[in-house]
Amino acid sequence: MRDRHLRAAIALVALAGAAAAAYLVYARYTHTQIACTTGGCETVQHSKYAKIAGVPVAVLGLAAYFAILATALSARVEAAALGAAIALGGLAFAIYLIVIQVAVIDAICQWCLASDAILAVLAVLTVERLRRLAGNPHESSGAARMATRG
Amino acid sequence: MSRFFHGRNLLYVGVGSAAAVIAVVLILVSVIGSSSAETTGSVPVTTTTGSGSSTPAAHPKAPGATATAALFRGIPQQLNQLGNPKAKVTMIEFADPQCPYCRQYELDTLPAIVREYVRTGKVKLIYFGIPIIGQNSEAGLRAVYAAGLQNRLWNFSHLLYRSQGAENSGWITDDLLRRIGDSIPGFDTARMMADRQSSDVENALAASAQQATNGRVDRTPTFFAGPTGGTLQQVPLTALTAAAFRPTLDALVK
Repeated sequence: MRDRHLRAAIALVALAGAAAAAYLVYARYTHTQIACTTGGCETVQHSKYAKIAGVPVAVLGLAAYFAILATALSARVEAAALGAAIALGGLAFAIYLIVIQVAVIDAICQWCLASDAILAVLAVLTVERLRRLAGNPHESSGAARMATRG
Repeated sequence: MSRFFHGRNLLYVGVGSAAAVIAVVLILVSVIGSSSAETTGSVPVTTTTGSGSSTPAAHPKAPGATATAALFRGIPQQLNQLGNPKAKVTMIEFADPQCPYCRQYELDTLPAIVREYVRTGKVKLIYFGIPIIGQNSEAGLRAVYAAGLQNRLWNFSHLLYRSQGAENSGWITDDLLRRIGDSIPGFDTARMMADRQSSDVENALAASAQQATNGRVDRTPTFFAGPTGGTLQQVPLTALTAAAFRPTLDALVK
């Protein structure tokens, strides 16, 4: 898979994550009831863990997805590194939030889990992109149109 | 060793470090923010934010906090409802937080009903609070319904009964309400305190009063049960024990 294919995949998945986060942000600020089959979305979204320093976690998620999307627009290895760092850091934080949902809040938010799954996919894609670019720096400059090795 | 920190490896180390910093900072801010109004011991603790501004003092846990969390753990709550929304049977309780018999039912009987009928998905419970005993009842009900906006009405109401004082003695204080809120895992106490005056809570109080009028309820606790979506009948009770509820509930869930 060429770098541009990986970048396209990252951009698409990041857009999906942004859509899920945007829905939660929309529901929060319009006081709309969240569509939820697990019965715990409102509980999680209204818990004290739903904000970080006054900023809703959904807003942070939305910003992270757009940041990852922006890194996919650049062919530079630095952009790939930044995208991987955001995705990995976000995934670690998402795992912490899953533990909080299960062990503390006693409620599961399906939209949060969907976002977590998307973040996990992004972590894999961004790390793979970084691994390929780091192993084949020519592709990142666009000077060489070499197929990347698997 | 020095050869490791060159080229590709250096890049990987940098990315890993940046990811770790992002995660650690987010988790730390989350933990500090969520614990700033939470009790950590048996005595009040004053906490401060990083900016140096003071926050309200945290409170010691309300009596029965652990048992209450365990009683309702894993059971869906939606506003004033407890249990499977699609349960075959619905049971409504009209209650007043100051009512001693409501407390007796709540502490002695509700756990068995939750265990036998609610956890099993057969019955869902609906709470309607009516301020029959006095003004202090409304203060409690406002907090109970505000907790319902976070889907923790049942935890809050149960903890309030565990701290019940003498009727109209003014025992439902803001301090007690904060302490109860801080005893519910993940609960946003500040939000509950603010929501007490919200239109949602006003509407819930009005709806409860209307339901009580419709059911001609003039005392608490009063229970109605029936098929979900159908007509509910007042539960005939000779005592507030689980055994007194079983004939009605068993007949309905068959």
